[in-house]
Amino acid sequence: MNAASTSRPVLHSLLAAGACAVLPHALELPLWVIAVFAIGAAWRYACEAFQWYRPGRLVRLALMLLVIVAVFRQYHTLLGRDPGIALLITLLGLKFLELKTQRDFVVSLFVFYLVILGSFLYSQSLWLGAWALVAVAACTAALMHLMQPAGMNMSRRLRLSGVMLAKALPLMVIVYMLFPRISGTLWGLPENAHGGLTGMPDMMQPGSIRNLSESSEVAFRVSFDGTPPPLRELYWRGLVLTETDGRSWRRGTAQPGGKDSFMPLAGPVRYDVTLEPSNKPWMPALDLPATRPKGARYQADFTLEHREPIRERLNYTLTSYTRYYAGALNTSEREQTLRLPLNISARTRALAEQWRRENVNPLPVAQAALDYFRRERFFYTLSPPLLGDNPVDDFLFTTRRGFCEHFAAAFVTLMRAAGIPSRVVVGYLGGELNTAGNYLIVRQSDAHAWAEIWTAERGWVRVDPTGAVAPERIELGLDAVRRLEQQGIGLGSLPAEAVLRAMELGWFEYVARHARWYWDLTNMTWYRWVVDYGKERQERFLASLGLDDISWGRLTGLLFIGGLLVMLVYTLLLLRPKKSVDPTLALYLRFCRRLAHDGMVRAPHEGAHAFAERAARKRSDLASSISEITGLYEDLRYGRAAADHNKFTLLKKRIAAFRA
Amino acid sequence: MSDTHAPSEVILGRRQLFMLPTRFGLLFALLLVVQLLTAINYGNGLAYALTFLLGSLAVVSMLYTHRNLFRLRLAAGISVPVFVGETTVFRIHLTNDSDTPRFGVMVMCDKNEIAGVDISARDSADVELPIPTKKRGHLAIPPVTVTTRFPLGLLYSWSRRVELEQSCLVYPRPADSMPRRTRDQETRHSMHGLGASGDDYIGTREFRPGDSPHHVDWKAVARGEGWHIKQFGGGYQPTAWLDWDTLPGLDTETRLSVLTRWVLDAERDGMLYGLRLPEKTLAPANGEHHQHECLRALALFGTKP
Repeated sequence: MNAASTSRPVLHSLLAAGACAVLPHALELPLWVIAVFAIGAAWRYACEAFQWYRPGRLVRLALMLLVIVAVFRQYHTLLGRDPGIALLITLLGLKFLELKTQRDFVVSLFVFYLVILGSFLYSQSLWLGAWALVAVAACTAALMHLMQPAGMNMSRRLRLSGVMLAKALPLMVIVYMLFPRISGTLWGLPENAHGGLTGMPDMMQPGSIRNLSESSEVAFRVSFDGTPPPLRELYWRGLVLTETDGRSWRRGTAQPGGKDSFMPLAGPVRYDVTLEPSNKPWMPALDLPATRPKGARYQADFTLEHREPIRERLNYTLTSYTRYYAGALNTSEREQTLRLPLNISARTRALAEQWRRENVNPLPVAQAALDYFRRERFFYTLSPPLLGDNPVDDFLFTTRRGFCEHFAAAFVTLMRAAGIPSRVVVGYLGGELNTAGNYLIVRQSDAHAWAEIWTAERGWVRVDPTGAVAPERIELGLDAVRRLEQQGIGLGSLPAEAVLRAMELGWFEYVARHARWYWDLTNMTWYRWVVDYGKERQERFLASLGLDDISWGRLTGLLFIGGLLVMLVYTLLLLRPKKSVDPTLALYLRFCRRLAHDGMVRAPHEGAHAFAERAARKRSDLASSISEITGLYEDLRYGRAAADHNKFTLLKKRIAAFRA
Repeated sequence: MSDTHAPSEVILGRRQLFMLPTRFGLLFALLLVVQLLTAINYGNGLAYALTFLLGSLAVVSMLYTHRNLFRLRLAAGISVPVFVGETTVFRIHLTNDSDTPRFGVMVMCDKNEIAGVDISARDSADVELPIPTKKRGHLAIPPVTVTTRFPLGLLYSWSRRVELEQSCLVYPRPADSMPRRTRDQETRHSMHGLGASGDDYIGTREFRPGDSPHHVDWKAVARGEGWHIKQFGGGYQPTAWLDWDTLPGLDTETRLSVLTRWVLDAERDGMLYGLRLPEKTLAPANGEHHQHECLRALALFGTKP
């Protein structure tokens, strides 16, 4: 058994399975790690195919030490995800050189399964999941080959392993859904488990939001209960910035607040947010959120902040009111939201003071500022010029071209100079409605900055200075701005219908967009059921089945019942005796029954020929038809006439006419 | 084992089949534990999915392992008689009545794996079971167990011991050459048996080098029927009685051994020979059937019929 199991074809199956398992790691691990594996595999192949030198035990031991040292030099440790997987893969490569017994092969194959699992620690994409299925099928087929070195050819092994995996899938789904999940980890994650995440920075300076707008990465997705509000009302509040040095804007000291400190003026909007990990604690919420999700803090500036930076996709449900009265302002808040930077220029201050003199109330002052932006031909552009040491002054009086952050910063500075408490809010505006899945995709490029001023009558009022110069940004979103710019159409220069006409999509763009939406929907579903299926999702899923308050014991019980049901179905399918009798045999058995009526019962051991002779002796009157029928039957069943339809019809006719 | 009548054919049912994990199966379980711990620690959905997929695969493979033996039909084929000390080969006939092939079906006897076979759908295969013989008489086929590790080697399924109705006749061991002793009715002619003397034409036999050309049946040669020798016999038959009583003073087995030798020699020499045992007498005759009857009588001497 052992000699046969280590034959060359089995080795080929093993090498192929190994290649499938290791392939995804080529994207993540240093190239030399993959190279060690590949060289090990190729060397062993050459040993078998061309009788190359096969290293002895000492050489192998030396190579092993060398590899361990190399891994250590690469990572400065041997523990953790990266060095662990690198060690696994390189040692598998060396293991190829010493594979001998069936046990060696089996151990290697089992480690392949582990390597496949290892690739999930880097990425959990749909593609990788699909590839893993291929790799598992290859490993399973190799295991089958190892156990049955002869008898099954490759297509049969692959087919059987595919069929077995297909049968395992429903069972897996049941266990997957019901296996109790825990929140948190068992022994902590390695430090490098997260990284390379984009998210809204916790400060704003000229260019910071603009940089974000380059990224088409998804920031979060929202599904609304009922119809979503119009795009222009979708101000996603991220964080509020009050402190400034004239160049950058920062949050002041965060104060915990109450969600009860504002009064809704219109009906609530309920929605479900799936936030991509950003390594930042901000939880975007539709202006203004009225509920506090688990794990979040509600700040006095009506923003939601997660307890720790968000490193995994986070799902939360919120209720917001887009019309509200947010009243009170305490002294420290007032003081904070009026503080001007030291480097404010005299002409900026003069401009604001002039408006203040002309108007008593804050709202007309704000309107005067917006009118100023419009009248003085300020431009909203995706590629603003660089600003000097005093960006607000530069922007207001020199360049007059800017992105939303420039407008917001300048506007708030002017308001404060006019004695109106005001602050910058950064977050996202709008989003793309994915009609395929009826949810909103908000990307990093939808990042936006706007302003809030405080008035005694109406409390905090949102003012978006960008809207004064580029209403398209507000109404149609950033994507529209980009496309209009590409067509050379100035923002705010065309009437609304003309803009809409210019925005119409060609058929190719239409198809591409819908394809993109369906792909996003697929990914979203994948996230929901695979990547993000944790304790919370599980609880929600079970609740949707009507199973609230589930204990571990109950879950396990459910899991077993479900599994047993599936296995029962399989048992019935696989082990039920097949009733499909050969049609020729069925005809012949009918003939035998006719003879049995006459007392001639065919003995179990009696062949058709012997029975025919016996029957013919007893019923010489029927001898000729008995021998004809038997002859036809033998021809059809055992002879060359197996597929002869005419003979079959003849047999049918003869048997129908046969009367004992 | 002796009283109950063993069936000539056994179909393996659910109650006759058992299953346990192999050591590879246990190793696989360990792998699953490691994978599950990793999945829990990283809260990794795909890792959970893979772990459960592999676990489910192992569970599903139970069905395949079971099906590989379930409803397998076992029957024993007829085996050729042998002499004590020779190895008899029992043929176990495995029939697959299902529409799916069976792979890696192994037959075990006395904890030794004898052979593994693959059986195509609606086909059968033979496994040879060599058993050394130590005793004359009927040698019943030893109970066998059918096992398999198909398809993944994670599980081991075996049947309970199957006893089939089949036995092999074991003739006594022929003694070393020993001159035949006779008591009475000894032939006048000795070893040469049907010699070439006498007057009556009694038939022909094939030509052997050294035969006299006078006796060649030339007419047959001319007809193209090959070379034959016309045989002539007299009114006497060279007859030998192989008698138990001519071997006094020896123990039973030795006597049987000697008689066996004599039967073989007499048959070889083309003699007519009869066998006389205390409880049975076989009239003189010759030929393969007669030899078998004599050897059979010797093999079963002293046992219940």
